[in-house]
Amino acid sequence: MGDPQSDLHPLANIDQVIHAPARLMVLTYLYVTESVDYVFLMRLTGLTWGNLATHLNKLEAAGYVEIQKTFNGKKPQSILRMTPAGRAAFTQYKKNLRQVLDDLPEE
Amino acid sequence: MQTPISLKSAERQAFQSTFADGLWDVFIGCFALQFAIAPLLSETLGDFWSSAIFLPFWGLVYLAIWLVRKHVLAPRLGTVSFGKARRAKMRKFSMVMVAVNALVLLVGFLLALNFNQIPGFGIASLFSLLLLASFSLAAWLLDFPRLYVYGLLLFVAPLLGEWLYANLGFSHHGYPVVFGIAAGLIILTGLVNFLRVLSNHPTIDAGEV
Repeated sequence: MGDPQSDLHPLANIDQVIHAPARLMVLTYLYVTESVDYVFLMRLTGLTWGNLATHLNKLEAAGYVEIQKTFNGKKPQSILRMTPAGRAAFTQYKKNLRQVLDDLPEE
Repeated sequence: MQTPISLKSAERQAFQSTFADGLWDVFIGCFALQFAIAPLLSETLGDFWSSAIFLPFWGLVYLAIWLVRKHVLAPRLGTVSFGKARRAKMRKFSMVMVAVNALVLLVGFLLALNFNQIPGFGIASLFSLLLLASFSLAAWLLDFPRLYVYGLLLFVAPLLGEWLYANLGFSHHGYPVVFGIAAGLIILTGLVNFLRVLSNHPTIDAGEV
């Protein structure tokens, strides 16, 4: 059996900004679309306005998400899209997580 | 809260949610309604104008759907722009629909030339098959399963109409009755979905992110 720490190395590399369930869900939808508005994302994820805002602020601070504020008529509209850095991080996250899960022994 | 299991299902879920509002159903119902009304108008307006009169009708339906989507649904359901793969699929769908419509026009033209030599059930069968094929293709390309049901409904309509005409003496090959019923069912489904969306998704009081 190898060194347990080296076995767990990919797990330690997992991006904690992405790994939170709500943020993972948000990024999943942003990954598969070009852009969405705030209401669409709120509806699909089931998150509340404030909760989604908190997670989006974290993702924006990490440089994974870009928030563009526009107007739809007189109403403010926030358009959200994943940045190239966010796409790269998400792809790496998938790779790391897959490696960890694939290495787990069958029960 | 729904967690997507896979990226593919997440994309599919996001795309399918754009059909949940029932407006596509209303649009398709109006398409079916055209086949119910045109034969009735053809006696007074003639074959050409009874079909051409639907052009402004389509313009109005399209405008109404666009306005409802922008002012009623977008604040409730939000908006989305899909990635390259889905856009390519939509382009393929548009091309297939253009090809199917061109085929329908060509077949219609050829049938019109030999209309009296072809039995009624022959024309109805061809029409049924074209409707079934185009709706099934659209259902498959758009990931919109309800279109399979509508395709089946519209597949049955010309055949049933022809049977009603041959056996019970219905006028206009039974089209006003069968397509009227089919259009009514489809529009009703759309309106039920639309009202459900309105009641389940109130306008969100927009705050700042």
